[in-house]
This record gives sequence, structure tokens and C-alpha cells, in this order.
Amino acid sequence: MIKYIIKRIVNYIVMLFVAVSMTYFLASAFMSPRSMYMMRHPIPPEASIDRQLTAANINDKTPVIQRYFTWLKNIFTQWNWGLAPDQSPVGPQIASRAASSVQLVTLATILGILLGVSIGVYTAIRQYQWQDRVLNSVATFLLVIPAAVMALLVVLAAIQINTASGTRIFYVTGLHSYQGSNPWLYFVDTLQHLILPTISMTIPGAVGYHLTQRTYLLDTINADYVRTARAKGLTLNKAIRRHALRTSLIPTAQSVAFSIASVFTGAVISESIYAVNGLGKYFVTAITMNDINGSVAIAAFSGVCTLVGALLADLFSVWLDPRIKLS
Amino acid sequence: MVSQDFQGTDMTDEEQATSAEQGGAQAAPAAAAVDSAAASQTPVDSAAAAHEAAEDAGIENMATEQDKQLKRTGRMTLYVHRYMRNPGAVFGLVLLIVLTFFSIFGKYLTHWSYSDLDYMALGAPPSAQHWLGTTPGGSDLYAMICRGLGRSLSIGIISSIGNTIIAAIVGTAIAYFRGWFEKVGMWLLDMLLVVPSFLLIAMMVRGASGTSSWLWLVFGLTVFGWIGYARVLRTLTLSLRELEYVRAAQFMGVGSFRIIIRHLIPNLGSVLIINTVLGVVSAVNSETSLSFLGLGIKAPDTSLGTLLTDGQSVILTQPWVLVFPAIVLILLTFSMQLIGDGMRDAIDPYSRSGGKAE
Repeated sequence: MIKYIIKRIVNYIVMLFVAVSMTYFLASAFMSPRSMYMMRHPIPPEASIDRQLTAANINDKTPVIQRYFTWLKNIFTQWNWGLAPDQSPVGPQIASRAASSVQLVTLATILGILLGVSIGVYTAIRQYQWQDRVLNSVATFLLVIPAAVMALLVVLAAIQINTASGTRIFYVTGLHSYQGSNPWLYFVDTLQHLILPTISMTIPGAVGYHLTQRTYLLDTINADYVRTARAKGLTLNKAIRRHALRTSLIPTAQSVAFSIASVFTGAVISESIYAVNGLGKYFVTAITMNDINGSVAIAAFSGVCTLVGALLADLFSVWLDPRIKLS
Repeated sequence: MVSQDFQGTDMTDEEQATSAEQGGAQAAPAAAAVDSAAASQTPVDSAAAAHEAAEDAGIENMATEQDKQLKRTGRMTLYVHRYMRNPGAVFGLVLLIVLTFFSIFGKYLTHWSYSDLDYMALGAPPSAQHWLGTTPGGSDLYAMICRGLGRSLSIGIISSIGNTIIAAIVGTAIAYFRGWFEKVGMWLLDMLLVVPSFLLIAMMVRGASGTSSWLWLVFGLTVFGWIGYARVLRTLTLSLRELEYVRAAQFMGVGSFRIIIRHLIPNLGSVLIINTVLGVVSAVNSETSLSFLGLGIKAPDTSLGTLLTDGQSVILTQPWVLVFPAIVLILLTFSMQLIGDGMRDAIDPYSRSGGKAE
């Protein structure tokens, strides 16, 4: 077991290294920090631009290979992820914003899984009955709505409710606005801020888990071991819960593990609509500001998330599925 | 889904068609297969089923008397019949045709162009002058939506076709060559999935200027969009590569590339077509997200995602700027999804877990 995990981890680290290096070269090829200085008014003298770019190790006059090795050396020796074009260090920025992102995404992820899996089980048991058809139609419709449209429509509805009731029930920007020290009011305030982003991120998650869980459960519900359980006298519900559901949860558990990566990508749209200062927003700023080091650091961070998810998925399937043997 | 209502009837038809097909495949006389299928059929559908069975059992090789009575149904005709039986899918197709016509010819219905600015009507609500109102900058929203829809549609379709082509070639090649080639190939595919493609596309498109940015977006969506799909196709090819005629072609000395193009990829045909249609949905979604964040299509060009950004800034005062593009976008993705599901039912009736939206 330990040997298997170590082998996996080593493989993933090599993968991560190659992927992040590739991203570094891609970013260096397509982003031009120099243009940020050229847009200033008045344009600073060239010597000054060069000095600042060199200090941040993003000067396009230095060969990219040389910049790459300097960048690598700084990361491996000092855990220094480099500087943005405005000379602010990249690493601490990411660390502080990750907390906001996690706060924003956690509740939505958990609710999405719980709702999605339970609706999926509910509809699979009632295949082709009216509940199944209605819920499936709704799910197919919601599935194709782009994230931005979904979030904006939620905001629009919330604003209508706010106007209609005359009080501010929902806040559409930020995570907190309460300044006092009363913990109850603080909690209510956080809830008022979190509810809209949570709704707009829970819906796509729940819909996805619903449709996949329904398919998986339908695949296992007619299996021989479920029929055996029924023949031995278990009620239908018990047979499904104890036998069919357990096997059908394996692929779902894997996709839950993979969804860790969505702490980053899933929240980009929500963060920019609800003005939450998280990783997604930082990524958009980094790209618009031609911040090579910042974008690569984010890519590395999300790569780590993906691979941790992949590792967890491997372990989950070993743990849940007795048919899989480690070798 | 709407098509669910008809799935039940579809299933029974298809099951009967299957049994007839199997009967034919086991070298039973084709006429017998036709008879059994016709006997088990309800009277209404019996003629169509007889055609299907005749087609599937390969009756065209046998010059029997039935042959003269039965009009031969081509494969495409059969697919069209099956597709048209599904009202949801037909609705999706009609919707898509309407949207396409709107994006091509809609601009001739108004004298405003998407690049005109009407300074007398900044952020005006819908009226006779501006059918869908104007943006805060004074652009006619109707003309903008026309243009934006065309952009989103062409980006979605081109990049989805590109993805399918690359994924089909790479996915089948990795499975076909086996050995170290397969190992290295799979490792590379996994490696490319480590960093979310959304990030890489944004980096690439960022540098492009206003007018060519849509081509860069197509390029980015094509270059990074095929990877997960290639893995799926590789899994499907694992069983195809064992087929006798693939071996036969190898022993005849047919080149590897030719085997992949002529023998392996056509076998995945139905999967590829369905996924191309459904791929448009995800490509449009990515395009919208990127443009919405200001990382995709940029002014003076416009797309539905860019319009959403405009709408977001005036969500309180001029909600129509947000609502109309949002509706058009939902109609677009929903019609594509309905068509994709309908085609899955029509072309590939035996795949049970082919996709999420069964």
C-alpha cells in the first residue's frame, strides 16, 4: 500500500513539474509585461523599464531559458515564486486568497454533492415515472446554462426580491460587511453574503451529480448480487441501499475527489460576479496585467489541487471497491 | 428531458429491430427475420419495422419476392425517421435553424449595425426605434446580439469539429500502436490535464488584438479542448483494435495511418458525431466564460459573453442588456443539447451510459 502510494506520488510530481514548466514557457511566449509599461503615460525611459523587468525576472530581452532556470532556482532554494510586474511578491498573494476561495466554495460543493446524489438515487429508483421525467428535464435544462448566465440571473432575481421587500435581504458583493463584534450578527451577515454564490454554484454541481449518479445506480440496480439480495428476502429499499448504492457510489466518490481542483477553476466566474477577492479573481487580474509569474504560480497551485484530487480518487476506489487490488 | 416521453416507445422499436438484426446476423434466412419482426410489431409501425429489419438483415443481397414488395430504406433515412420521432430533438433542430438564420440574416432587418453608436439613445429601453433597447454605450442591442450569436456559434462549431478530429486521431493512434507508445501517450495526456485548460487558453488569447481575438479563441479551444475526449476514445478503441478485419488489414500490409483513418475512426462514427454536437455546448460555455471575464472576445468585436459583461455593469438600471443575451445563450446551448440527445437516440440506440443526459 505504502509502496503504491509513493510510486503514484513520484509519478504525479514529475507530471506536475513538466506541466508547470510547459505553462511557464507558454506564458512567457504569449504574455508581454513590457506592454504594461508602454501603456503608461508618459512612457517611462527604456532603461527604467528594463531594470524593473529584470528585477522581476520577466525581461523579454533575457533568453527565456535563462529566465526559466533563475525562476526554478528561486523556487527550489527559497520557495520564492517570483515577482509581479509591479514588484509585489506572488507567493503570499496566493496564500491569502486561497482562504477566501475555500470559504466560498466549501458549502456549495457539499450541498451540491448531497442534493445531487440524493436526487440521483430518487430518480433512478423511479426510472421513467413522472418524477424522474420532470427532474431529468429540469436537470438537462439547467446543465447547459453557462455559469455566468446562471450567476447573473440569480443576482437579478435577488435584486428583484430586495426591491420588492424594501430591505436588503441578500448582498450581491463581497463575503463580509459587518464590522461589529456580535458573533450572531456576524454569522447572519456572512450568511446573507454567502447565500447567492452558494445557490449559483450548488445548482450546476447538483445537476451534474444527479445525472451521473442516476446513470451509475441504474447500471448496478439490475446486477446479479442485487437480485440475490432481493431473493434472500431484503426489501427493495434495503437491497438498493446496502448493495446497489454502495457500488454505484465509487465513480461518484472519484469525481468528488477530482472536484477539489474546482476550488480554483469552478469559482472564477462566481468570484468575479460576486466580487470575492479569491484565487479566481487573482488569476483574471494576473492575466490582464501580463503577470507571468503570478499566472504560472496559479497554474501550479491548481495543478497541485488536481493531482491531490487524483490521488484521493485512487485511494477512494481502493477503499470502496473490494474488487480493486493494489499492484 | 422532453424526449423522455418518447423514449419508451423508441426503446421497444429498437429492441425489436435488434432482435431482427441478430436473427439476420446468425445467418437465418432474411425473409424469416422480416416475418418475425413484422409479427411482433404493432400494426401502426409494422411497415417501418419491416423496412428496418430488411435493412438490418441485409436483404438487399437476396433477390427474393419480398424484395420487390419492400421499398429499401437507406441508413440515413432510417436515422432521420428515428430522429424525427423525437419531438424534443425536432424542437431543438428548429430552434437551432431559427437561431442560425437570425445570426446570418437578422442584421438586414434593422438599419443599425453592431458598430454604430446612437448617442441620442444611451441605455434606452426596448422601443420601436431600438427593438431590444441599447447598451449604455449606445449600441443597438438587437444588432449586437445578432453579431454576438454568430460569433459564439461559429467559435463553438469550428472548435468542436477541430477537437473531434484531433481527439479521434490521437485517441485511436494511442490505442492502436500499443506498447511503449501507448504508455508514453497516456502519460502525456494525463500530464496535459494537470493544468486546467481554461487557464492556458486565457493566457494565449490574452495577447490577441480585438479583431483577430476570435480566431485565437478558436485556436485555443481547439488546442486544449481535445485531451479528455481523446482518453475516452482510446478506451473505446481498445476493443476495436482486436477486430479481425483490423488484423487482416495489418497482415495485408496496409499502413498504420491508413488503418487508423479507414478502419478504426469510421467505427467510432456515431460517437464522434454525437460528441461533436455536444462539444459545441461546452465550447460555447467556455467561450462565454472567457469573454465574460474579459479574456476572450474584445471590443470592437462582440460575442454573447462580452454582452453579458456589459449587462452585468447595468444590472440594476438597464436589466434588458443582460436579459436578452442571456435568453439567446440559453436557447443556443439548450437547442444543441436537445439535438445531441436526439442524435444519440437515433444513431446509437444501444449505448446506455454514453452520456450524462440519458
